[in-house]
Amino acid sequence: MRAVIVAFLSIFALTLGWLLLPQSAEKNVSTNVADLLGGVVDAGFERAVQPRSFLFPQDHAAHPGFRSEWWYFTGNLETVEKRRFGFQLVFFRNALKPGEAEGKSLWRSNQSWMAHFALTDAQGEQFHAFERFSRGAMGLAGAQLEPFKVWLDDWSVTEQDGQWVLQAAEVDLSLTLSLISLRPPVLQGEAGLSQKSAAAGNASYYYSIPRLAAEGQVVIEGGKHAVAGMAWLDREWSTSALGEEQAGWDWFSLQLDDGSDLMYYQLRRKDGSPDPHSAGSLVLPDGEVIRLGSKEVRLQPLAYWDSPKGGRYPVRWQLHIPSQKLKLEVAPVLENQELDLLVRYWEGAVDVSGTRTGRAVRGRGYLELAGYAVD
Amino acid sequence: MFANSSNLLWRASLRHLGRHPWQMALSILGIALGVAVVVAVDLANESARRAFDHSMQTVTGQATHQIVAGPTGLDEQLYVTLRRSGRLPVSAPVVEGYLAYGEQTLQLLGVDPFAESRFRNLLSHVPAEGEEGLLQRLLTEPGAVLMSRERVEGFGLSVGQPFELWHSGQRRQAVLAGYFEPPPEQRAVLRDLLAADISTAQELLDRMGRLSRIDLILPDTATERLDAIKSLLPVGSRLTPAASRGLAMQEMTRAFSVNLTAMSLLALVVGLFLIYNTLSFSVLQRRELMGQLRVLGATRADLFRLVLGEGLLIGGLGTLLGLLLGILLAQELLQLVTQTINDLYFVLTVRELALTPMGIIKGLLLGVGGSLLAVLVPASEAALSPPRRVQNRSGVEQGARKLLQPFAWSGVILLITAAVLLLLSDSLLFGFIALFVLILGFSLLTPMWVSLICRYSAPLFGRLFGSPGRMAVRGVQASLSRTGVAIAALSIAVATTVGVGVMVDSFRVSVQQWLESSLQADIFISPDAPSGTGYEAALSPAVLQIVERLPGVAGIRMSRPVEIQSGDEIVHLTALRLAAESYAGVQFLQGTPETVWPLFDREQAVIISEPYAYHHGLHAGDTLELETNRGRQPFKIAGVFRDYETEQGVVKMRMPLYQHYWGDKSVYSAWLYLQPGVDVDAVLEKLHRLVGDQQALRIHASKTLREASIKTFDRTFAITHVLRLLVIGVAFVGILSALMALQLEKARELAVLRAMGFTPRQVWGLVTAQTGFMGLISGLLALPLGLVLAGVLIFVVNRRAFGWSMDVVVPGMVLLDAMLLALVAALLAGLYPAWRMSQTSPAQALREE
Repeated sequence: MRAVIVAFLSIFALTLGWLLLPQSAEKNVSTNVADLLGGVVDAGFERAVQPRSFLFPQDHAAHPGFRSEWWYFTGNLETVEKRRFGFQLVFFRNALKPGEAEGKSLWRSNQSWMAHFALTDAQGEQFHAFERFSRGAMGLAGAQLEPFKVWLDDWSVTEQDGQWVLQAAEVDLSLTLSLISLRPPVLQGEAGLSQKSAAAGNASYYYSIPRLAAEGQVVIEGGKHAVAGMAWLDREWSTSALGEEQAGWDWFSLQLDDGSDLMYYQLRRKDGSPDPHSAGSLVLPDGEVIRLGSKEVRLQPLAYWDSPKGGRYPVRWQLHIPSQKLKLEVAPVLENQELDLLVRYWEGAVDVSGTRTGRAVRGRGYLELAGYAVD
Repeated sequence: MFANSSNLLWRASLRHLGRHPWQMALSILGIALGVAVVVAVDLANESARRAFDHSMQTVTGQATHQIVAGPTGLDEQLYVTLRRSGRLPVSAPVVEGYLAYGEQTLQLLGVDPFAESRFRNLLSHVPAEGEEGLLQRLLTEPGAVLMSRERVEGFGLSVGQPFELWHSGQRRQAVLAGYFEPPPEQRAVLRDLLAADISTAQELLDRMGRLSRIDLILPDTATERLDAIKSLLPVGSRLTPAASRGLAMQEMTRAFSVNLTAMSLLALVVGLFLIYNTLSFSVLQRRELMGQLRVLGATRADLFRLVLGEGLLIGGLGTLLGLLLGILLAQELLQLVTQTINDLYFVLTVRELALTPMGIIKGLLLGVGGSLLAVLVPASEAALSPPRRVQNRSGVEQGARKLLQPFAWSGVILLITAAVLLLLSDSLLFGFIALFVLILGFSLLTPMWVSLICRYSAPLFGRLFGSPGRMAVRGVQASLSRTGVAIAALSIAVATTVGVGVMVDSFRVSVQQWLESSLQADIFISPDAPSGTGYEAALSPAVLQIVERLPGVAGIRMSRPVEIQSGDEIVHLTALRLAAESYAGVQFLQGTPETVWPLFDREQAVIISEPYAYHHGLHAGDTLELETNRGRQPFKIAGVFRDYETEQGVVKMRMPLYQHYWGDKSVYSAWLYLQPGVDVDAVLEKLHRLVGDQQALRIHASKTLREASIKTFDRTFAITHVLRLLVIGVAFVGILSALMALQLEKARELAVLRAMGFTPRQVWGLVTAQTGFMGLISGLLALPLGLVLAGVLIFVVNRRAFGWSMDVVVPGMVLLDAMLLALVAALLAGLYPAWRMSQTSPAQALREE
């Protein structure tokens, strides 16, 4: 589902990055998304048309034959004193052209990279978001397997002693975390093939690691805080995904205290109705993965937050899956977790409470709301 | 005083001015020309400065600091290291250089779009229909560039079309990815800019692995972060404020624009003489009227104000007209100024005239303020009019003659002041001030000289031309208060041409001699690169190899001129590999070949050009420190040599030393010395054949290069010639107006002569003789002043502005020209008045009285 984000964010942000013309943002979105969805994808890219076999750790590295790809880390952290933080660190890869770049300069590359880093400070009621751009050349940005590493400038995820180490720093704010996966990767969709819209090939390869134990340090406003918590990784690569009638999506990644994890994305059509290609999965405490289709999940917005920049985000939801006897209320840790970057969207830490099979459950997670910003 | 007085006075004044429309018109024209020249030069200078600022701004964008290094730029890995260290603030790498499309020089700005957003918004000028897929093409297609729409249309290109660009004489394949259409205020700056991805720029400019600089955005307060970055920089690279390069480059053109301004002020001074002249006349003409007005009760203050008002009216009208003329003239001057800057300093495209309010206000202030100053004397004179019914004119002249001595004394004092100024201060500005004080002092002395000359030459002229001759001379003396001023104005104008002429000729001869001795080689080879971009171009290794193996060659001198930023200034450094034959061509002003060359060839030593030595107060034996890629290094100054190549001066060192410190092996030019008896044409032919189309080269035989150099020299001084002509133009108008007033005033005298039996022809002869005589005196007086001016220009202004000395050459032709000029100007100016006087019927003239 976030195939769009990449396609649309990367190309668009890239264009904007140079153009930096906020007033023409609308125009760019339309041309670029139309570009993307109109099927003018270069035939040289691979397409996600049928299930494939996944191999780890190899599949943690890049799949440059596909147009876009991302490494999406989100998570909830807290200090011993229960000071609450949420984080998002994501690396987007987007190929401008299939194949290897031509030319003698080492700066030549067909790969473009974008990264977002956000930190939610619940106690300080502050939300911080940053972005970076680079080409996939000169070692400025990239992804590699041995040892595993994905990076843009000094923001990186590296493998150290069997753990993944996340590092991102800005002038007065930084995050260092080591992650240990508590669950094997979960293949989303049909054995990892996640169909986003009707046309064949409008799909991505998609896996998640829903439970990553996180431990590390948050530096904010001069204070250093030892933190621990739970993170979630989403990995997806594709060449085209969304259909023309699709306008945005609401994505949930929720970790419940009974040991179950829920991922669900609702694709929104331009008329506001949910798209039948919306989908998700519930991982039961014993590791069993249950695929969820749009007919099984009922989503109801409960409250909205109006962005001062324009746009109304449904930040509080009721999520009901009758087939799983699961009823949850999802509430944001902060209402304003909007990433006011070149492309504006809302993505933030949430609290979850409700019942599963009659028993009370609580949990934490991340919610992403895309396609709501109005300029 | 009486109620309607001011009204009455003004009406009298206006009627007077109205009755002398020619005089009025000429004064207005004179002041207008003066103001026009000042405004035009100011606007042209300002436009060039703005264009420079704009292009720096376009290229620098929002950067506050830059990381820069020597001529070869920075290693691109430095950028990656800094980015990945996480200690770099907002930063963007830049690769820039020049390319040629046919005859047109284009500046290529290679940037990383991913890092650009905060720096330059070049792509914001791309029209919407051109955006689609543009970025992808720029990033992924080799040779993809963006060009201004105007150039795209001018070159007849279309988007997607491949075309050829030339760099350093080598063909490069480019493809038009799109075009931008900048808003009008940026059109001139962006017109000749190519934008491309940094990879494309490296490939087109052959700068693989190198960056021109890294731009940074840092708040001024972030000194800690600045220090942190500095600590990460390798030796040879430096962190500097973004403005510093621009300032250093502007410093180079400062002396040039100061010179132009001074020339233009000269034109204004001559224009002001004109106002002074006109109003002095009109006051003299109205002595009776003034006396009557005083009898009627007008106070001294009233009369003072009256004349002041007239002066302001004429000055104001002239200034307004001058502003309009100046704007028109500025368009023309701008091209000359730009041409000169391109020839001498750096590539600069200026096409739009910047009509700044400041330029206009300056013109207004100078014109009106100057008029006010010029009119103070005649206004006081008017105020001194005694209340009498009839004032006898010869009485006026007698009064004026009493002033001769005080005037002469003030003149002497001013001359002494000028001398003191010249001796006491080293500044260029004071040099110019002294120049003006000198001129003023001279003009105050002029009436006395005129009087003396008249007294002693009257008998001579009587013997030569009979009584009309004597009368002509006496006439000049009798109206000294008028003729003195006119002669002063003309002689200053003529002296200016003498001074500038002698200076330019001396300069030209010195340059010619220098070229003769320094360009001794038989064949000169350099890449065919646009002027002003020399240090980027280099001979390709293949061409160098061909050159080195060419048969019939006795010796090769190779040079690599570069600009290095050392401290706050840009130093022109030339690395030299001398041939045995080229040592003799260097003329040392300090040090001798025997002492200099051993040091130059073996020690850590350099030779510096005369301007460099002058500007930096350096002498042979001193030590010069330069920023190198291996840190700051001391170089011993082995000698100071004569050089007219650049006025900023140049430092030369042997090539191995340069290569050691800057790691740059490029060679820009090769001079070949042929073995005796070898035919130049045969070698040239072979060279052309071997090089083929590997690289477009400029190959000159020594004669053509010397000619080309002198041509550049003459082109550089084109603007000086134009200004000189303008100054003479103003003076011509001045003398015309003075003579007309003079002759009109003498109407009665001439009428008496006519009544006494003088034929019109004789009257014509008399008037012409008189103007001719005035011209002659002006010419005579202009010669010494002109020579003094030349001396000041050569020994003070040129030295201070450019730092070079020259052999003074006083060509007889310049002096003769000056005499002729004065004579012809005066005679031409006298034609109309003479014709009019001779046509007057005596009865009518007498009746009018």
